[in-house]
Amino acid sequence: MPLHVNLYHEVQAQERARQRDPLRLGMLGLLVIAIGFVVYYVIAVGSAHTVASQYAALQSEYSRLDPKAQAAKAREAELNDSISASDTMMKEVDGRFYWAPVLDQILQTVPLNVQLTQVGASLGSPASGTNVLTITGISSASEPRKAAEQLRTALAARLGKQFKNVNAFFKTLDDSDEVVVLNGARLPTATFTIEFDLKVNDPALDTPPPTRHAKT
Amino acid sequence: MKLDQEQIKRLFLSLLLLCALLYGYFAYLLGPLQQSVVAANNGINSTIPAISDDKKQIATTADLESKAPKATAFLTAIKNSIPDGEPIAWFPPKMADFFKARGIDKCTTNIVSESPDTMPGFKRIVWTIDVPKIGFVPLGMAISTLENTEPLMTVTNVSIEAMREDAEYQHATLTVTTLVKS
Repeated sequence: MPLHVNLYHEVQAQERARQRDPLRLGMLGLLVIAIGFVVYYVIAVGSAHTVASQYAALQSEYSRLDPKAQAAKAREAELNDSISASDTMMKEVDGRFYWAPVLDQILQTVPLNVQLTQVGASLGSPASGTNVLTITGISSASEPRKAAEQLRTALAARLGKQFKNVNAFFKTLDDSDEVVVLNGARLPTATFTIEFDLKVNDPALDTPPPTRHAKT
Repeated sequence: MKLDQEQIKRLFLSLLLLCALLYGYFAYLLGPLQQSVVAANNGINSTIPAISDDKKQIATTADLESKAPKATAFLTAIKNSIPDGEPIAWFPPKMADFFKARGIDKCTTNIVSESPDTMPGFKRIVWTIDVPKIGFVPLGMAISTLENTEPLMTVTNVSIEAMREDAEYQHATLTVTTLVKS
């Protein structure tokens, strides 16, 4: 068996010791970790850049859209004001009270033996919603007071079909000294003033034109 | 394996250096980066709804804009129907012409009062129209026509009195309110 003598064992031992130097191993480990950190940082920077560019794009879109949106908002308010004004105007026009149908009812209700000398009509306040019609005239019949009462009830009934509530009452009803000749007969007369409080229906009435002659 | 003094010293220094590097890495590199990412994400989260709201607003307004001409047509037509100039200059002649067209030559229109309307751009004027001689039926028809053809006019008061000298005719006074451009 040949004798093997290693004359470099000290050198080799030193080399092994150098390779197993914990400091060196530690530094190598640290280097690996540091490379890992750097890689992670590069990835993080890339990710952050993506997010930042996405944010910048959104901000750019927002800064482009926002003035338009503000202008649109102002325009919307303007349009809403116009639409609201138009609606208000339409309501006001539609909500008007029409006197022509009331005059038409008077025309159709007043009998031959009654002559109206005065007709007054006025709008009440919007809050009260009550308009007032006043008729003054002379009734002639064998019972002139009864003729006036018939006119009151007949006109109240006709107006009652068009208004929520009609309150009709005599303000005055007096026998008169005058005598009227009607169809050859001499008839006593009575003067009267009747007031009709008309509670307004909603919506307002249409206005058909009067069709018959009045007897005022 | 035993570490000599020199190695321990170097190891300690290396650990110190490592700590400093880690601190620097997290505090000055990764930290601000994370902060900027968080800020950008917050910004994205708040900007997306804002953009959505803006788009919605623009779409709503565009929709309203397309509907507005129809919705405001009435007001536009009403405004266009009001003559320009002072109402005292055009309203009395208009009423005179109106009654003249119905065979009533005499008609006097006077202004009673003028006040601003609740609707911006309009004012309310009260007038009296005095018709000294008119039959009941023509008067009723005239009032009916006025009420139907003049949407801005409201007859607030009607006073009809039989004429003593001619029972066929009446003396009528109308009080009307008109809306005009202010």
